[in-house]
Amino acid sequence: MWNKANLMELFRTVHKAILGAGLAAVFLFSQAGNAQQLSSFEGLPDWTGVWQMIGPTVFDRSTVQPLDGRAGRHGVREFPPYNEVWEQRYLANIERVSADRFPDPLSFCGTFPGFPRTFNLPGALEFVVRPEQVWILTEDGPSITRIYTDGRSHPPEDEIWPTFSGESVGRWEGDTLVFQTIGIKGAGETILDRTGLTLSQQARITTRLRRVDAGTMEAQMAIEDPEALTEIWMVTKQYGRLPEGSRMFDVACAENNRNPVDATGRTLTLDAEGNVLDVGVNTGVQ
Amino acid sequence: MMKIHERSRTIWLGVALTLSLTGFSVDAHHSGNMFDRERTVELTGTVKEFQWTNPHIWIQVLVPTAGGGVEEWSIEGGVPNRLFRAGWRPTSFEPGDEIMIVANPMLDGAKAGAFVGAKLPDGTTLGRFAE
Repeated sequence: MWNKANLMELFRTVHKAILGAGLAAVFLFSQAGNAQQLSSFEGLPDWTGVWQMIGPTVFDRSTVQPLDGRAGRHGVREFPPYNEVWEQRYLANIERVSADRFPDPLSFCGTFPGFPRTFNLPGALEFVVRPEQVWILTEDGPSITRIYTDGRSHPPEDEIWPTFSGESVGRWEGDTLVFQTIGIKGAGETILDRTGLTLSQQARITTRLRRVDAGTMEAQMAIEDPEALTEIWMVTKQYGRLPEGSRMFDVACAENNRNPVDATGRTLTLDAEGNVLDVGVNTGVQ
Repeated sequence: MMKIHERSRTIWLGVALTLSLTGFSVDAHHSGNMFDRERTVELTGTVKEFQWTNPHIWIQVLVPTAGGGVEEWSIEGGVPNRLFRAGWRPTSFEPGDEIMIVANPMLDGAKAGAFVGAKLPDGTTLGRFAE
């Protein structure tokens, strides 16, 4: 018998198969030299406006369990094609989330979210299109992801080191920006969401970013990670355009952080004078 | 007059659906595991301070106790950028305002909670507030 759950599973399987096949075809097509290198604004798409991710901050909503699961809640997980080592690492993270011992790196208010979590943030984004670069600006962090579209390739290996935003180069295929990001920070310093999802520094993310209609941007990511994944992980995120005239704001985390993390990884709560409110906790604030 | 109510989860079943736009949410910058999402408390008191700050807003509320004293509660809300887009303003709460406020309390009994809703002096409400 078909019920809602297995119909959803079928939908997801078909969706991923179509997406995977499409991306593979497009990448091959791109290798044949179809890409454009633009030197003026003419022909570039209009991505102006302020955008916000559609849905909660679950990185891969197509595999999340339970279906309405929220990142950070007990027992919520997704199903990336992790190898056994990284699956066990993820399971350990999930247990730490449940025990309130998996602090979000953002809780330390020192660094920004990093790529590809850039595409999984609750605050607003802007996509700034220039002939030689595209910038993704996020309120959370705040952060800037620079994508060079001037025809350059990635730098030589000895000129790349792990950074939060990574190293991105891209090209235009019509109205779609196709870019590849390497050199990300990876596990230990960044997460993809608060269920405990992480990638390694070996990750290579190929993103197809386009405006699918007047009110919607879409990022299709093909994530390769020879250290963590057994196959390409396809993830699609969408963003809705906020009303005309919307503004971007600071999210300066260190301004008044009353939820520091102690030495055990537990998130504390402070009163207005900076005293720890949590009962039985008085030391170890980082 | 102080009053603190605890209401059943059933009454507040819809609250979580709107938190991302109106109050503290699991999409906040830190874990929300310190809060009891199964319970709410309703506080009646006076606003001492409204901190319209990142990464979260805070409402300091002075709540009279049965013994004639006053206890200060710290109510944590969402992020200014998203609250602004949901209709909040830096002046949504002013010191001296007499308000009713509903929150998910901390699990350990500390005098703090996650904002759910409030009724302001002029009778308007923010977040999810049911009489």
